[in-house]
Amino acid sequence: MSTAALARATGERLAAADAAGLNATLHWSQAQLDAEAARVDAMPAPGPLAGVAIAVKDNIVTTDMPTTCASRILEGYVSPYDATAIRRLRAAGALVAAKANMDEFAMGSSTEHSAFGRVRHPLDPSRVPGGSSGGSAALVAAGVVPAALGSETGGSVRQPASFCGVVGVKPSYGRVSRYGLAAFGSSLDCISAFGRTVADAAGVLSAMSGHDPLDSTTLDQPPMGVPGPLADLRGLRVGLPREYFPADLDPGVAAAMERTSAALRELGAELVEVSLPHSAYAVPTYYIVAPAEAAANLARYDGVRYGPRHIGPGGDIRALYQATRGQGFGPEVQRRILVGTYVLSAGYYDAYYRKAQRVRALIADDFRRVFEGGFDLLLTPTTPTPAFRAGEKTADPVSMYLADVFVCAISLAGLPALSLPAGRSEGLPVGAQLIAPFFADERLLAAAMTLEGIIAPDAEVR
Amino acid sequence: MAWETVIGLEVHVQLSTRTKMFCACRTTFGDPPNTNVCPTCLGLPGALPVPNAEAVRLGTRAALALGCTVHPVSVFARKNYFYPDLPKGYQISQFDRPLATGGRVAFESPERGRLEVGVTRLHLEEDAGKLIHDRFPGKTAVDLNRAGTPLAEIVSEPDMRTPADARAYLVTLRQILVYAGVSDCSMEQGSLRVDANISIRRPGAPGLGTKAEVKNLNSFANVERALEAERERQIGLVERGERVAQVTLLFNAGSGEVRPLRSKEESHDYRYFPDPDLPPLVLAPEWVADQRLALPELPDARRARFELAFGLPAYDARVLASEVALAEYYESVVAAGVEPKAAANWVMGDVMTSYNETGAFPVEASRLAALVTLVRDGVVSHQAAKRVYAELARRPDEAPGAAAERLGLLQVSDQGALAGWVDDVLSEHPAEVARYRGGETKLMGFFVGQVMKRSRGKADPKGVQPVLQEKLR
Amino acid sequence: MSIGRDEVLHVARLAELAVDEADLDRLVAQLNGIVDYVARLDQVPVDGATDLFLPGPREVALREDVPGPVPLARPPAAFAPEFADGFFLVPRHGAMEEP
Repeated sequence: MSTAALARATGERLAAADAAGLNATLHWSQAQLDAEAARVDAMPAPGPLAGVAIAVKDNIVTTDMPTTCASRILEGYVSPYDATAIRRLRAAGALVAAKANMDEFAMGSSTEHSAFGRVRHPLDPSRVPGGSSGGSAALVAAGVVPAALGSETGGSVRQPASFCGVVGVKPSYGRVSRYGLAAFGSSLDCISAFGRTVADAAGVLSAMSGHDPLDSTTLDQPPMGVPGPLADLRGLRVGLPREYFPADLDPGVAAAMERTSAALRELGAELVEVSLPHSAYAVPTYYIVAPAEAAANLARYDGVRYGPRHIGPGGDIRALYQATRGQGFGPEVQRRILVGTYVLSAGYYDAYYRKAQRVRALIADDFRRVFEGGFDLLLTPTTPTPAFRAGEKTADPVSMYLADVFVCAISLAGLPALSLPAGRSEGLPVGAQLIAPFFADERLLAAAMTLEGIIAPDAEVR
Repeated sequence: MAWETVIGLEVHVQLSTRTKMFCACRTTFGDPPNTNVCPTCLGLPGALPVPNAEAVRLGTRAALALGCTVHPVSVFARKNYFYPDLPKGYQISQFDRPLATGGRVAFESPERGRLEVGVTRLHLEEDAGKLIHDRFPGKTAVDLNRAGTPLAEIVSEPDMRTPADARAYLVTLRQILVYAGVSDCSMEQGSLRVDANISIRRPGAPGLGTKAEVKNLNSFANVERALEAERERQIGLVERGERVAQVTLLFNAGSGEVRPLRSKEESHDYRYFPDPDLPPLVLAPEWVADQRLALPELPDARRARFELAFGLPAYDARVLASEVALAEYYESVVAAGVEPKAAANWVMGDVMTSYNETGAFPVEASRLAALVTLVRDGVVSHQAAKRVYAELARRPDEAPGAAAERLGLLQVSDQGALAGWVDDVLSEHPAEVARYRGGETKLMGFFVGQVMKRSRGKADPKGVQPVLQEKLR
Repeated sequence: MSIGRDEVLHVARLAELAVDEADLDRLVAQLNGIVDYVARLDQVPVDGATDLFLPGPREVALREDVPGPVPLARPPAAFAPEFADGFFLVPRHGAMEEP
């Protein structure tokens, strides 16, 4: 198929998804797709992603489409520069096809916190696709695009990948430049990839990866390679951290994990129970560190230099700040800014932020100890349950936070991890999470590709 | 009853880099507004900071020049507050782990003799943008060209006791920083800014009184004036039985008064935390040692050497060592064979006058040395040499001897010529001649002066006196 | 530890967020729920743990002092909410005014 035809077909699928009420896109146009196709066709040599249409979470800046972070505070904002990840994808021949809906500023686990309406689960519109990268996950799951970019701060790609039945890969912190990713929790944020297959996601990650002189937190390392599947997993030692298999785990999820463990054994891997005791504190740690960083990162949205402006009573600069931010940010974003401001404020820093940083170090230390003890990978469920119903957790913020109980610790430790479809429970996808040591992204991908080859992702597990 | 004043200073200096602290925008002064801006210094969504190696080098150099310990690990932190000149809603600074701590500045206090003031810390940070309040009615205009310019903040210990101490400290600090080549320290262009903390207490009292912070100090003279005004205000308050409140004050140079700044509500809780966009700044001890070796001789060392090696009086040595260019010029003149004190007199006289006016040296050191040598050898008189100097400044290609000759300023020791000028002078001043002959011999100086004047400086003063004595006998 | 109304209003002022009086009670309750939840870290012994955990590089890489910023595809005038003669404009300072 020619690139132009591919752009048209992608446009037709995007239009169909919109018409079906998925609400997974925030911006796209056929004209934009056609322009991308023409640009790719004019490239002197086809790149590794030539003609691959990619949806991009709307917190990654693009010069040719708006970037709103699904927030009123950036409504209509078009970035005057492209993110490094976008520049590299374009250079690899990919078509930037659409900007995907998300939880506002990536804060949420259900994509119900978008200022522009919630995203529907492609298999059941009454359910959520997970979040915060729910639009990207839904577009891949619905077959609209083969791959999509999301961003992870505390599991925002792995968790919706699990809910939607697609592959979601979070690279090691620092492998992919954050330059151009609207910051949420800078020490946690990772641009990450969704794919129908591990190889799709790996190709996208590889094209984006590598040192970026514009991001001081990227690793001074060459781009990641794209491995192939292995013949088997003989000699691979996989740890099963007992803290991630609680007694009250959803039976469908438990069954999918049994199935995944069996598949790993079948491939020759050795499975051994291990312990990550501090992971029990990952969610509270995360909900101190991430809001604190977010409170500072979101201070720039002040109505002075860009974005819509509101001016409240009094008409002075504070009236501008408070009205712009009060009206521009949705309730979840405001809650997190307030929590983040509180935990950093005078008298509370040591009790909350410093304490959380120390617990974070201990959480990371647990992983390091296990990996240094001779384990190559860890296997856990990605989520405690399959996709939940819309509205189920919106009234109680903490219950929503607990949807990330199995993904948070990995983000805090900066490790590479992915969610692989591992079967369905009553028709809803369930993901298995594989976790690798820092910078062992390629090992992780190779093992996942191997496992992917023998797991039937759509099979009912209960 | 006497009061003791306690003063500490916070000085911000702009480091002389080509680009900003965390992005590659130029730091040019005076460009059209919002033209030296990029995603990072505009605080656009997704933009990130990358530190400037040269700013780190200059900050390290400044710290070493001030005798600080430069730490192998320092940490950039976010200082959070909202202000329209602060694009990100936080300033990237350093907080609990600054680049350097524990230095000192030694100087001559006008009232208290030689003094040492401790330097608590030196840290790196970025500047804010500029706000213009008087250009658009009802609006404040924001120019972000300056936003992100690299600064070193130098915090002193509260070791100063008088406003004059504070001024002398600043003069010395500026000398050191300019010597070290880290900043041009121009208060006019805002590349050196001063905030002062001041409190009063009874002499010998333990602890410090409540301090006030004085801002908007745009010259060293105004620092002194503002601190004098604030000292009087605080003494007045306390002597009336009132208390000094912790407050930020602005100095009005026009009225000479300080007045409280309307408080920035809540601004004291900056919620500092390590900037997660920036891993720690790690400096290898060997690199720091290299920076120390690369420092030039600093003003205090140079002053001491001028006293010791050249036998200069303390005052001369201090003046000549005060600026790198002046000191270098002076040393070149001496190196060309001129006696050090004679060279000092010249450099501190005509040379410094023109340097202070133009910032340049109109006569290169070798030509000045040749001119001074002509004076020493009696070829031109000291008086005539000043005219030759002025001529050399106008004609960069002419040699001093040739200039003196062309101007007819070569010294005359010919007895006939001298006798002629002496006769003229004596006949013009019969009254003085009579008084001299009546015993008022101190009039000799007067007659010598008149002869020199009459000869337009050409007469050799050593030859004039014997002729005068002969004729006045 | 629990957060009262005044504390929420104080933090909201620090964060420059206008809080609607009608929402305040609900917000206070929600924030208390979150803060109570994260306060369970009190139980964790952290002796010897670093308070500067670094997920990525151990030290910052410096940039050479060479001009060449990331270019803007559109000038500030194209995205500023209010812009004139090259300047961003904001209301004349009221509560934060510096003369």
